[in-house]
Amino acid sequence: MTQWSVLYRKEISEMIRNFKIIWIPLVFILLGVMQPVSSYYMPEILDNFGGLPEGAVIDIPVPTGAEVLIGVLSNYGMLGVLILVLSAMGVVSAERQNGAAGMVMSKPVPHSSYILSKWAGLVTITVLSLFIGYAASWYYTNLLFEPVAPELIFQSFAIYSVWLIFVLTLTLFFSTVMKGTGSVAFITILVVAVISTVTSIIENKLKWSPSTLTGHTGYLLQSGELQSSFLPAFLTTVALIFLFLIFTIQIFKHKEILE
Amino acid sequence: MELLSVTDLVKKFGDTNAVNGITFNIEEGRCVSLLGSNGAGKTTALKMLSGLLEPTSGSIYFQGTKQRDIRKYIGYLPQYPAFFNWMSGKEFLIFAAELAKVNRKEAEKRSEELLERVGLLDARKRKIGGYSGGMKQRLGLAQALIHRPKLLILDEPVSALDPLGRREVLDMMREIKQETTILFSTHVLHDAQEISDDILIMNNGEIAISGELETVMEQYRKPIIRIEFESAESLEWLNRIEIYSFVSVVNIQGNVASIELTDMEYGRQILLEEIVNQRLPIRKFELVQTTLEDLFMEVVKA
Repeated sequence: MTQWSVLYRKEISEMIRNFKIIWIPLVFILLGVMQPVSSYYMPEILDNFGGLPEGAVIDIPVPTGAEVLIGVLSNYGMLGVLILVLSAMGVVSAERQNGAAGMVMSKPVPHSSYILSKWAGLVTITVLSLFIGYAASWYYTNLLFEPVAPELIFQSFAIYSVWLIFVLTLTLFFSTVMKGTGSVAFITILVVAVISTVTSIIENKLKWSPSTLTGHTGYLLQSGELQSSFLPAFLTTVALIFLFLIFTIQIFKHKEILE
Repeated sequence: MELLSVTDLVKKFGDTNAVNGITFNIEEGRCVSLLGSNGAGKTTALKMLSGLLEPTSGSIYFQGTKQRDIRKYIGYLPQYPAFFNWMSGKEFLIFAAELAKVNRKEAEKRSEELLERVGLLDARKRKIGGYSGGMKQRLGLAQALIHRPKLLILDEPVSALDPLGRREVLDMMREIKQETTILFSTHVLHDAQEISDDILIMNNGEIAISGELETVMEQYRKPIIRIEFESAESLEWLNRIEIYSFVSVVNIQGNVASIELTDMEYGRQILLEEIVNQRLPIRKFELVQTTLEDLFMEVVKA
């Protein structure tokens, strides 16, 4: 049994004991199901909240299945990312502060095993939550609107996972570099927001930016095919994830662990 | 045989040198205590030895060879051991054992053994979150021993415990001493004197005194007259006797004065006469030898 797998198993059992493995997927299911359900019942909802003024004619077009799923992913992009970052912000910094990281590292554990087990734990919970939540929203979209091809679901799920993994790699990085857990979340969200905003402002120049992945999932859902700029964006994101993991491990190696 | 040897170890934090070039050896099978006041650099030194802190410069030799990472030979108990509170005591020990590459079966066996030894067998299935301070300290000791380390490093193992817990941990250390080399830091001098073979006294990031406890004590032993007064009113007299040529140092703590003399016979005579003449209200007048505490005070104040 390698030390990495011992640590990874500890991450998973910790998430089971503190119910993270239940509540994060639940949040994703809720966010995912809300979109198709609220779109479907929009007229009734408007009616219930006092309705529209007499004589107003508003024609709400029935969204396509793809549009509903794009809405779901945009929910994940806002609230989903927030929840993930908040739940992952203490992943290293909290253990370093309370001394548990010191207890672990006083055993002959390679620094890379510690960081990579944390990363794998975060990837597990994120991909699991996204998968379950997205599947639930797909089910309701099929039920209430129109069927969407399963291969499109799988492809868009895979691309979107890479974006979320990028976000949590950033969280892990800041959690290792900084001390206060609150500031970890703040900085991570800030960086993600800046990347997204800058990318959307000068999109033609940043075709490789990780945050374009969210746009690629939308395009894929609507047209059924990938844009040519997908590959550079995908490769950059994977390379950045890789680089950030190396930085994180190096910084962790040279920090005083037991503070 | 030499187990650990450290040469010129330095740790800088910004501009300050927390540890300022320490050199010492630890012989196999000895129990070594590291003494020093708060901020002397004890914890920093121990952290460097246990691999949690990178030395700014200097080298560490283990069993004769220079090593970068000696964590596998070392069991470390930090000053404030922290655990995963959601684990049970036994789960944590197995976890610690597996991190030190002990296989599952052996880990299981070894943790039962150690739980029994540190008296936590009944609490092994309880969550660590519900353990008392003393229980956590004992669990910390068990996790440090789990992979049969060659050197056990304990940072202030008894400082935070009540007298009963202190007694328990000291007894355990005396037992462990039979099979493993121990290096522990403390500022409770009495404990050091009680169980250690060798001492290292650190002051301002440097090693001031090191050696075998008996030898060091012998070397620095000085005759002292200790006078206990009824009240602290006799200060004036104590200040006056400092000028006598046979008095070298006068230490006053509350209503007890320790007077170091160069000429014992003559000094005792004169002091006793003065006490009688001036009707000083004394409770006790005794001839003693310097203790570790006196030695420590001398080093730290110098």
